[in-house]
Amino acid sequence: MKKRSLTIVVLVILGVILGVIVIDFLNNRPDRRGENPYALKVDKYREVDPELISHKETRNFSLGVMIPSGIFYYKKSLYITGNSSLVVLALDGSPADMHETLPHSTCLAVNDQYIFIGFPNFVAKYDHSGELLQKWTELGESTVITSLAIKDNYVFVADAGNRRVVIYSDQGEVTGEFEGKSETEAGHGFIVPSPNFDLAVNSFGELWVVNPGKHAIENYSDDGRMRGFWENASFDIDGFLGCCNPARITVMDDGSFVTSEKGMVRIKIYDQSGQLKSVVAPPDLFKEEGKAPDVCVDENGVVYALDFDKDVVRVFEPI
Amino acid sequence: MEEKDKGLSRRKFINDGVRLTLGLTVVGTGVFSLKRSASGKDYVWQIDPVKCTQCGRCATECVKSDSAVKCVHAYDLCGYCDLCGGYFKPGAKLQTGAENQLCPTAAIQRRFIEEPYFEYIIDEELCIGCAKCVKGCSAFGNGSLHLQIRHDLCLNCNQCAIATSCPSDAISRVPADKPYIIKGDFTSEEEG
Repeated sequence: MKKRSLTIVVLVILGVILGVIVIDFLNNRPDRRGENPYALKVDKYREVDPELISHKETRNFSLGVMIPSGIFYYKKSLYITGNSSLVVLALDGSPADMHETLPHSTCLAVNDQYIFIGFPNFVAKYDHSGELLQKWTELGESTVITSLAIKDNYVFVADAGNRRVVIYSDQGEVTGEFEGKSETEAGHGFIVPSPNFDLAVNSFGELWVVNPGKHAIENYSDDGRMRGFWENASFDIDGFLGCCNPARITVMDDGSFVTSEKGMVRIKIYDQSGQLKSVVAPPDLFKEEGKAPDVCVDENGVVYALDFDKDVVRVFEPI
Repeated sequence: MEEKDKGLSRRKFINDGVRLTLGLTVVGTGVFSLKRSASGKDYVWQIDPVKCTQCGRCATECVKSDSAVKCVHAYDLCGYCDLCGGYFKPGAKLQTGAENQLCPTAAIQRRFIEEPYFEYIIDEELCIGCAKCVKGCSAFGNGSLHLQIRHDLCLNCNQCAIATSCPSDAISRVPADKPYIIKGDFTSEEEG
């Protein structure tokens, strides 16, 4: 009897120990922990007033195995660079053309005569049949070309590595460069902490350059003198936050800007003076802490966003 | 008599077996230790900043009361921004008052360099490894702030308590001769 009681007691103790171990194991599983007491809550800033949203995502164009680097809208076609190729899509997403290019392209710009493609430290000029016409002289070791814009016979090249804009003739001669400095306090010069340095020429022929470290978009004359700027550093929806935003821009026919931000990814439209007009795509549509999509826009206000996190072209049409 | 011999033989067999097992264990352990010290390959625990999801457990799970995990700043990646997502609370005024700071222990010092650049320095005495600033820097900035296990503080436990509870398997053993995984070093390592 005594031996039996002892056995029961030992079994009970073993059962309790086993129970504690199992409960502790289950409670301490990584997916069963309580809320992070140090969580940084940014959900509030991901929410966007539905009244502000002006576009709706209607289609996606898959790019297959292509890892894209840049997109440009020109005369009812989308030009997309990536890998060692240039793909031309019709606006319904059907492939219209494809050409082989030099590897490691970063950006592009297109006009009637040429297709200019930027590579890390040089620019190459192609014709519309995809033939390589010129490979321009390399700009140096620390050069990181991130954007191109065409005005008449000139090509403006954004060099993030050296925080400057280099001006080329369309025949490949360097005719000037500027670093965005001026005598006024505003003209600090370009602050480019990461390779997100974009520029664009609008339909009025004005050159606009992003100063990402200042959350500013600055207007320059053709020879690089600052003429004006607007800036808005803010956590709120009407501003730009974090490092290097807006990371990408494009311009609409009326001179408005379409901006694309990294980190908390969102695409917005601003008027020429920097007033927020609307939100094309709120952060919820993109990967958290994602890359800024490259953007272009057609005459009807349809925004094409090249989503680098999904490798697709996302089409946002006005509501 | 035969029965007794059989019994003795069985006992002897068991005793010999136990002796042999113990002997092999001792010799095996010795050989393993010698081999390990001869190869010089020691391992330590470290966080892969790319895998880290800033869950906050590095601050609460370490067996040391002040976690051995600290925030590290890769200055090469930093934008030296005025509006730093790792320093300021979202929506706060751009002033250095405690109410505007994201860090719960005020472990980040902000120093003016020249207009418009600011440097952000981690005070490791105050840092608890909560990763709040890392989250802010990743969400809004270049991700220059990241967590690392400091080996002058880490006890290098046989089983790291933080690694056990890490939801993203970001903590693993790395060779002791390369004990840190610093973000800014990725490209130099690749080039090297």
